[in-house]
Amino acid sequence: MSEQVKQLVGYVQERCLWQFFSRTWDRQENIDGIMAAAEALLSGEKPRRETPMEKLFYADAVEMVKDFRERFPWIASITPQEARDLIAGLKAEMIDIAITRSLNQELSHSLY
Amino acid sequence: MLKDTIQMIHGPIGCAYDTWHTKRYPTDNGHFNMKYVWSSDMKESNIVYGGDKRLEKSINEAFDEMPHIKRMIVYTTCPTALIGDDIKAVVKRVMIERPDVDIFTVECPGFAGVSQSKGHHVLNIGWINEKVGKLEKEITSEYTINFIGDYNIQGDTQLLQKYWDKLGIQVISHFTGNAAYDDLRCMQQAKLNVVNCARSAGYIANELKKQYGIPRLDVDTWGFNYMAEGIRKICAFFGIEERGEALIAEESAKWKPKLDWYKERLKGTKMAIWTGGPRLWHWTKSVEDDLGVQVVAMSSKFGHQEDFEKVIARGQSGTYYIDDGNELEFFEIIDLVKPDVIYTGPRVGELVKKLHIPYVNGHGYHNGPYMGFEGFVNLARDMYNAVHNPLLKLAATDIRDTQAEGQQEVAA
Repeated sequence: MSEQVKQLVGYVQERCLWQFFSRTWDRQENIDGIMAAAEALLSGEKPRRETPMEKLFYADAVEMVKDFRERFPWIASITPQEARDLIAGLKAEMIDIAITRSLNQELSHSLY
Repeated sequence: MLKDTIQMIHGPIGCAYDTWHTKRYPTDNGHFNMKYVWSSDMKESNIVYGGDKRLEKSINEAFDEMPHIKRMIVYTTCPTALIGDDIKAVVKRVMIERPDVDIFTVECPGFAGVSQSKGHHVLNIGWINEKVGKLEKEITSEYTINFIGDYNIQGDTQLLQKYWDKLGIQVISHFTGNAAYDDLRCMQQAKLNVVNCARSAGYIANELKKQYGIPRLDVDTWGFNYMAEGIRKICAFFGIEERGEALIAEESAKWKPKLDWYKERLKGTKMAIWTGGPRLWHWTKSVEDDLGVQVVAMSSKFGHQEDFEKVIARGQSGTYYIDDGNELEFFEIIDLVKPDVIYTGPRVGELVKKLHIPYVNGHGYHNGPYMGFEGFVNLARDMYNAVHNPLLKLAATDIRDTQAEGQQEVAA
C-alpha cells in the first residue's frame, strides 16, 4: 500500500460510517458506489445523481473528497489517471478491512 | 418514546418498573409517556391458569381510563412468555371489538440477545412487517426524511427539529423521539432514512432500504464537526447545499465561541465512556476534535461486533476497550488510566463517585440536550462543571484528621 493510499484509508476508517453497515452486500454496495463518485469528483467529472442511491453515494463522496483536499494537499496535483489508481487502491483496502478481514459474524447472518 | 401510545407490559408489576420515571424522554404534549405506567399486574393464579383474560381486561381498562388514546403497544415478559400467553390473539380480539384502536405487540421477553439488544431487533422487524405502509400522511415538502435512532433525550429531537424546519425538510417520522404512533406507520413515504443510533434502529433502516428502496444515511449528531457534516450530507442528497451552509454558519456563529471557551479549559482532560453501545464511537472523536479531550477507556454494555469495529477504527491506540465491563474490571481500568471524568449511567456513576471521580450521565444526560451545536456546548459545560467541581476535593478530605489536629491544638 502506498503512503498516499494509507493516508486515505486512515481518514475513511476514522470518519466514515458507511463502511460499517450491517451486511456484507451493504458494505460492498457502499464501497462501490462511493468510490465511483469519489473517482469522478477527483478526476474533474460529474458524478451521477439520478437515482436515490446515486444521490446517497454522492452525498457521502462529496464530503469525503472535500476532506481529502483539506487534509492532503498533495491531492491537488494528481492527474485523472493517478486519481483512478488512488481510488482503486483505497477501494481494495476498504474491501479488505471492512469485508474480507472483518471479524463481524453478523455480516452474513441470515437474520441480519 | 411515543407520545400518544399506551405501553402495556404484560407481566407482574415489577416488570414495568423501568418504564416509569427512569428515563428522560420528554414529549411536546405534556410528557404523556412519562406520567403513566401500565401493567397487566399478573398474580400467581394467572401464572397457573394463564394470563390472557387478565391482559384483555387490562387493555380494555386502559383504553376506558384514557379515552383520548387509541394506540397501544403490548409487551410480553419472561413469565408470560414461559406460560405461553398468546398476546397476538388477545390483541386481535380487542381490535375487532374496538375498531378505532390499533395495537402492536412485541414478543421478546426480557429483551434477550446481546445484553438485551435483541429487543431492538424484534421490535424493528415486527414494526416494519406489521405496521409500516399502512397509512399515508400529507406531504408538505419535496424533501422528506425519517430520522431514525434518536429518542428525544432531554429534548434532542426537538432541538434537531429546528434544523430540519430551517432547511425545509419534512420529517415523516422520528424513530422514536417525541413520535406519534401513526407517523411511524408512514415511514415508507420518506425519500431518505437518516440514522443516528445504528444499534437500536439500524434494522428498520436496512429493511426500509430493502423493502421500499429508501437509502440509508448514517450520521453523527453529537459534536460540532459531525453535526455540520451530517447536515451537509443530507443537503447534498437533496441538492440544497446552500441552505445547509447558511444553517451551519448561523449555528456556528452562535455556539462556537462558547464551545471554544470550554475547549480551552478542557484540553487534556482524560475521559472514560462507559455507556450502551453507539455513544462510544459517536463521542470518541468528537470530544477529541471539538474539545481537546482524551478518551482513555471505553466500555459498551450491549454493543455488537459492528459497534466494536467502529469504536476501534475511531478510537486512539492505547485506549482500553472493554466489552460489557463489570465492577472489578472498572476498578482495574480506573487504576490504570486515572480518568478525570466518566460518562456513564447512574448505576456505575454512583459507584465511581465513591472514588471521588466525577461522572456525567451519559445515558439520560445531566443537563441536555447534547445533540447538535447547542447540545455539544451543554455536554462541554457538564464536563467542565464535573471536572472542576470544588466539592470533589472536599469530599476526599477526611475531616476526622483535621478535627483531631484541632483538638490537640486546644489541649496544648
